[in-house]
Amino acid sequence: MRRRLTASTGWAIAALVALLAPLLLNERQMFVLMSIVILAVFATSYNVLLGYTGMVSFAHAAYYGIGAYAVTLAWVHLGWSPLAGFLLAPVAAGAIGYVTGLVALRATRLYFSLLTLAIGQLLFLVAFQWRGLTRGDDGIFGMQLPLLLQPATNRYYFLLALAAIALAILSVAMRSPFGATLRAIRENRDRAGFLGIKVKRYELAAFTLGTAFAGWAGGMYAFFDRGSFPLLLDWTTSADPIFTTLIGGLNSFAGPVIGAVVLGLLRDFVTRNFLYFNVVLGTVLLAIILFMPGGIVEGVRRLAAVGGPGRRRTQPEQPADREQPAAAGTRSKS
Amino acid sequence: MTGEALVLQVMTGLSRAAVLFIVASGLSLVFGAMRIVNIAHGSFYMVGAFVAVTVAGWLGGVVGFVGALLVVPLVVAALGGLIEVGALRRLYGKEHLLQLLATFAFLLIVSDVVRFIYGERPQSLRAPPLLSGATRFGDVFFPRYSLFLMAAAVVIGLGLWLLLSRTGLGRDIRAAVSDPEMLGMVGVNVSRLFTVVFALGAGLAGLGGVLAGPQTTILLGMDIDIIVESFAVVIIGGLGSLVGTAVGAVLVGVTFALGITFIPSAALAIVFVVMVAVLVWRPYGLFGIPQEA
Repeated sequence: MRRRLTASTGWAIAALVALLAPLLLNERQMFVLMSIVILAVFATSYNVLLGYTGMVSFAHAAYYGIGAYAVTLAWVHLGWSPLAGFLLAPVAAGAIGYVTGLVALRATRLYFSLLTLAIGQLLFLVAFQWRGLTRGDDGIFGMQLPLLLQPATNRYYFLLALAAIALAILSVAMRSPFGATLRAIRENRDRAGFLGIKVKRYELAAFTLGTAFAGWAGGMYAFFDRGSFPLLLDWTTSADPIFTTLIGGLNSFAGPVIGAVVLGLLRDFVTRNFLYFNVVLGTVLLAIILFMPGGIVEGVRRLAAVGGPGRRRTQPEQPADREQPAAAGTRSKS
Repeated sequence: MTGEALVLQVMTGLSRAAVLFIVASGLSLVFGAMRIVNIAHGSFYMVGAFVAVTVAGWLGGVVGFVGALLVVPLVVAALGGLIEVGALRRLYGKEHLLQLLATFAFLLIVSDVVRFIYGERPQSLRAPPLLSGATRFGDVFFPRYSLFLMAAAVVIGLGLWLLLSRTGLGRDIRAAVSDPEMLGMVGVNVSRLFTVVFALGAGLAGLGGVLAGPQTTILLGMDIDIIVESFAVVIIGGLGSLVGTAVGAVLVGVTFALGITFIPSAALAIVFVVMVAVLVWRPYGLFGIPQEA
């Protein structure tokens, strides 16, 4: 109960900060903020696979890229408004996610991961090589946004609203019996099977849900950058949500969102002052992996447990008490 | 296309396969014995190529290339050993994801360190005159360096086979492949074995980098290119199988070379289609053994 309350307070503060931020920030900072909002959705969609179901996919960026291309391709080839195109983004990504998920889930665990690497690179190569459709390496840029969305502040609020909707839907899904079943699969795949859960079917559903919202995030990216390019689909882009989730914390709904804020600010700060971002990111990741594998959320919980009275029950070796403090407050965000 | 050109294309594919085999055998070995998917494996390959440029520059001439061939794998193996002792060792017994992400962190770190030292400019490594040019068999001229690469791959392959089947170290590695816990219980120093295996794997990648040097542009980003191809090789062949790695390397190398000739824009895509097809047909690869991973 107390945790619930803390979580909703946290979400309420986050929402307030997010709503008021434009009053204080310049245009460049607004764009940093937009990239953080997009990354938060992208990483949360990935956590449906990684944190909730225990699936490591290297293809997630492919669906993110598909979402971005859904908007830009509908604009270039069909003359659709980006707003109409956005509706296509999660549908296209989810549909392709479902079909490719069927193939990838022929294998399990490590071999599943490696199969997603092949599938993701295949999708990347389609975007990279099919010049007639995607203009290949040049990408598609300069998409006309509706007049209302052209000022940075308006575009930010638009993206924030889209993020809030996505996070609300995902948090409801993850708190539902469906989400509980996914966690059972992550905890013990075999035992979940013995209980009569159709594991593969749930994994496919989680994969489809995750990829659909990766497409949602990709659609947001198309508004942010007014375009799309093949590298969005590359497997190295899949590292973004993985790192984000790791930094924030795998075992909670808020983890990827917190990670997005930290990673987004860190990236902005480092790249403006220093030529070598990768070495900083690599070192931060290594430190988290070695010393705080539960990410920031776990670190804060541990601190709270040390500081607060009557909460002695923390065993640092256990990868987080699997409770999920999510969500009650997500609604306050929208 | 003439038969002669086709033979040359296949030769190109086989020489690429030779490098892929040497690099991927290290990846496969590390996975087989330690259950670690080493994403930083391509970084060892890249470091090998760059350090070879430096060493060859110091020594100069023919001695330079030969010296690099001898010294660089040891340097890279030492780097691998350092990474294993410094970081990976602390992660055994934890979630596989953490180990995988730790190697990913090293990929990032190494790529920036290489960029810091060597800059963005492409480097090149020259093969000694003895290995340049072409040798004539019948009507066809074969590039000598390609022949050298294939011979090197065969020698390395035989060496690894002898190591695994005829030595005490090889016996321990094979035991680790089937049951690492039991190995510890019968008194083998598993911790030291893992350091040696990881260093050996890194050394093979470094050697691959030196050998590939004269045939490729030595450039940032070559770490990512080789790791994706090496994954394709070991997945098709089956992780942990030496024979599988050889078959996978030939399949990937030749498929790519022929793909480039006939449908250039889809060459790499064809490799991935083959990879997906193999995995759907045989989820553990052509020569892999079903196992918990």
